[in-house]
Amino acid sequence: MKAFLRAELLKQRSTRTGLGLFTAMLGLVLLAVLLHSLLPAEDLTNAHTQLMVFGRGEFLGALFAALLGALSITAEIRHGTIRPTFLVTPRRGRVIAAKVVTSVMIGAGFGLIAGGVAAAVGTAALRARGIEVLLDEGDYALLVLGAAVAAALWAAIGVGVGALVRHQVPALIGICAWLLFVEGLLAGDLVGLGDVGRFLPGAAALAISGQEPGTLLAPAVGALLLALYAAAAALAGSLATSRRDVP
Amino acid sequence: MAKRIDERGTPVPPEDGPTEPVVEVSSLTKRFGEVVAVDDLTFSLRPGTVTGFLGPNGAGKTTTLRLLLGLAEPDAGEALAFGHRYRELDDPALRVGAVLESSDLHPGRSGRDHLRVLALAAEIPSSRVEEMLALVELEAVADRRVKTYSLGMRQRLALAGALLGDPQLLVLDEPANGLDPAGVHWLRRFLRRFAGKGRTVLVSSHMLAEAAQTVDQVVIIDRGRLVATGRLDELIEPGRTLEDVYLGLTGGGS
Repeated sequence: MKAFLRAELLKQRSTRTGLGLFTAMLGLVLLAVLLHSLLPAEDLTNAHTQLMVFGRGEFLGALFAALLGALSITAEIRHGTIRPTFLVTPRRGRVIAAKVVTSVMIGAGFGLIAGGVAAAVGTAALRARGIEVLLDEGDYALLVLGAAVAAALWAAIGVGVGALVRHQVPALIGICAWLLFVEGLLAGDLVGLGDVGRFLPGAAALAISGQEPGTLLAPAVGALLLALYAAAAALAGSLATSRRDVP
Repeated sequence: MAKRIDERGTPVPPEDGPTEPVVEVSSLTKRFGEVVAVDDLTFSLRPGTVTGFLGPNGAGKTTTLRLLLGLAEPDAGEALAFGHRYRELDDPALRVGAVLESSDLHPGRSGRDHLRVLALAAEIPSSRVEEMLALVELEAVADRRVKTYSLGMRQRLALAGALLGDPQLLVLDEPANGLDPAGVHWLRRFLRRFAGKGRTVLVSSHMLAEAAQTVDQVVIIDRGRLVATGRLDELIEPGRTLEDVYLGLTGGGS
């Protein structure tokens, strides 16, 4: 297993894809947090909104970790390197497992940095405007660590989705559309899933960093639920990859 | 005749003696919907031979190679390498090297990193990466990204990847595509030397004149079916060429 992990890590390090995703994520985190911190001061003086603003880091960390996970397999299919990969390691489940582990590790790093940067920049921006920050150390810890856990688990979901969908563009668009749009529609008033919406994987990710207590699940429950989604996606991707012909 | 021993200590059988086939394809069949891409195909390869795998476009050559390499599952029959299905081989990279028709390289990765990734996964020492870069004469460009490579350089890099594990069987799909005359000459000499050490080559090709200079025997298929197999000197009557034989068999000449 160690050999596959080292090979997967080198695959990640030896192209600019990871760095590109990381840079885009960081730019969007800064943009989202700074724009939100320009809201009217009276909207920002409660802990609930402050958590929401700083929680943009977690959301973007999870999104980009999922894209990284999906790309780890769809880029191999797109460029054909999946064939030499499976020629060297015909037991395909091991390759997918190594991709999950690598993506989870890098995804955790993405989440940690996105969550940390969002909390730090948001705090500095609010203080600069003279707005009191109402979050305590526990809130901060949950924001940063929750972002790392959510992004790590979404990275595994990304690998599973990538392995199932296989084509790069639909896989990436699907992940973006789900997190940015579809889940909101399903959980919102339009479809009226109501309470069920908090069990969806995007909402579970937000729950981990302590967002919207009372509406969303408790952080630990959210983490457990998202871990189940991640395990199911990774397993489905692994089984599909083992059973279907290689593109 | 002295018994030859290769570097792994395995006795290399004499060319005419009874030997286990390296590749054994039997009643192999693969369908894509209504289309039968490979239809009840049977042939086998003995060690120390270079076999040309010939046939028109769409005859099922690439599909057959993919079935042999465990990238696709047959609907019926089987394709074995060293007596095993490819996916059940231990350390396949140390026994079989393969380059498929598509070059299968990431354009944003350097040539050296491409080989290092494969070497790590197969647990092959990294010194072997440098040896292979030297063998295919890509040392000078090894740290450049593959997108800057010519087609011939990509082919040589892919070949270096196939050779990393010092395999006994080499499977190549249209390897001469994109090679210049010097490259083709180099490849021909390389394959002859490779087979001369008791190893086995299966090479698909459209280039009949080139194939006739390189291979010992041919397997010719058309519409997924075997139409001829045998040694070149048996198949080709004096005064005729491989092209004559091929076009006669595949209905391309009239």
